[in-house]
Amino acid sequence: MQRIFHTPEGVRDIIGEECAQKQLLQEKLRDVFRRYGCHEIETPTFEFFEVFGNEVGTIPSRELYKFFDREGNTLVLRPDFTPSVSRACASYFDPAGSPVSLFYTGKTFINHSSLRGQLKETTQIGVERFGDASADADAELLAMTVECLLASGLTEFQVSVGEVNYFKSLVAEAGLDEETVQELRELISQKNEFGVETLMREKKLPIHQTDAFTALPTLYGGRDVLDKARSITENEVALKAVERLQQIYDILSLYGYEKYISFDFGMLSKYRYYTGIIFHAYTYQTGEPLIKGGRYDQLLRHFGTPAPSVGFGIVIETLLLALSRQKLLQPLKDETEEILYAPGERAEAIRKAMELRSAGKPVRLTLKKEGPAR
Amino acid sequence: MRYLTFALTKGRLASKTLDLLGKIGITCEEMQDKNTRRLIFVNEELKLRFFLAKGPDVPTYVEYGAADIGVVGKDTLLEEGRKLYEVLDLGFGACRMCVCGPESARELLNTNQLLRVATKYPNIAREYFFNQRHQTVELIKLNGSIELAPIVGLSEVIVDIVETGSTLKENGLMVLEEVCPLSARMVVNQVSMKMEDERIRELIRKLRASL
Repeated sequence: MQRIFHTPEGVRDIIGEECAQKQLLQEKLRDVFRRYGCHEIETPTFEFFEVFGNEVGTIPSRELYKFFDREGNTLVLRPDFTPSVSRACASYFDPAGSPVSLFYTGKTFINHSSLRGQLKETTQIGVERFGDASADADAELLAMTVECLLASGLTEFQVSVGEVNYFKSLVAEAGLDEETVQELRELISQKNEFGVETLMREKKLPIHQTDAFTALPTLYGGRDVLDKARSITENEVALKAVERLQQIYDILSLYGYEKYISFDFGMLSKYRYYTGIIFHAYTYQTGEPLIKGGRYDQLLRHFGTPAPSVGFGIVIETLLLALSRQKLLQPLKDETEEILYAPGERAEAIRKAMELRSAGKPVRLTLKKEGPAR
Repeated sequence: MRYLTFALTKGRLASKTLDLLGKIGITCEEMQDKNTRRLIFVNEELKLRFFLAKGPDVPTYVEYGAADIGVVGKDTLLEEGRKLYEVLDLGFGACRMCVCGPESARELLNTNQLLRVATKYPNIAREYFFNQRHQTVELIKLNGSIELAPIVGLSEVIVDIVETGSTLKENGLMVLEEVCPLSARMVVNQVSMKMEDERIRELIRKLRASL
């Protein structure tokens, strides 16, 4: 039999300095969540397929790692924490009665197609706030996002916030069919302005609706985007969505974090469970967002306890990559003392090591090799 | 200021792109030298970098942020299916993705008999036959001279790019159906679009005005 010395594609060993840096980073982030009064939670690595099924609206079924148990149930390695934590919250808490904030750390598994240089196992750390529909909750989550990035050591980053109801209400007003909506969603997500324009011309919508949809791909940027978003539609639900973002922005100013925030009305996640704000955090030298999050008020309904919720997750590997490429990782000092002893000095060596260790100092005990004296 | 990096598709698309960029005052003298063996070219003044890559690799470079901006054909974008912002239709390189074959294959296309489709673009062909025509076909991936396949009996039809149609005509083939129109597109990495918002928007605005 051929002996195997490497791991399968998409998973890897993490050792030495990198492992230490990763653990340290995770600790810094968890500390942020603790300071915001959140409770830590662990959920199982695999769950029933239904938790991540199509109705929940997480990643496509073919990208899930699936297997069977002895009874023939389909099980799935979690691709995303939000459905798991929501399920657990619905089982053990009463979020509709009193809000709960839970944070988690763990591995997630997505069966990406091969040869794309994407890890199939990534570490995520994140937080979910259940039972709080207020703009204050949204703002607090965004404040935590900013603090996590600051705690990690990043200096240049941006948090981009959208509101899915803006797009959804325009679609409802236009009365577009499901297929067109899908196409439009795709085009807007790709910021394909001319594509939207062409599609709208085909559909022969009233001019004000055509203009509104065509504006969506470029409707992003600083605070003035809110005014522009207000000016292109009279749809009440859409205007309420803008108002919500304004409110969140104002609350974030009280935290002093508004300078990190920008807006993007063309941001439409592939996770269909989002129902309100949706946000991504970006920095230089990574091709993808570091943090993804949003509000999902309908998800807990699937688990029997309807409650509004908002949360975000950080992909640790992406954040570490950004920190290392931007040269922001502080080298770790190894302060371990080594005590080298001959068999005759054992009692003395162990006494000394225990003394140092109980004083909190790292000590490595090493027995001298037998043989001629050096 | 950081460098903005462009990934251009080797060949005709690259020279047309450089002409267009030249019109809005973006030039790269280092690239004019045809004999150079360098892989990356820099415009220090504007803080821009350029490199040439094979078409299908351009979306990959841009998706992962190794390049901020790319210029590539719509056919490649459809085939590769990457997560990118597709911000501008540059208009040049216009052609069509078509189902082609001999006249005799037209009838076969509308029956439920076994149909073999040879193509360089299996994803586009799959999407078209399975999801738009709701028809089961056998796909055969080839890497060039696709027109050969129906002539020698490897497949009944092909899915390929048609520009003028003269190669088809010379070989007794014809366009049977049009899948979609194609042209060169400018694509942008999702993160770059946010982090370098002003520079990239300005670039798009100028390019759009010059088209």
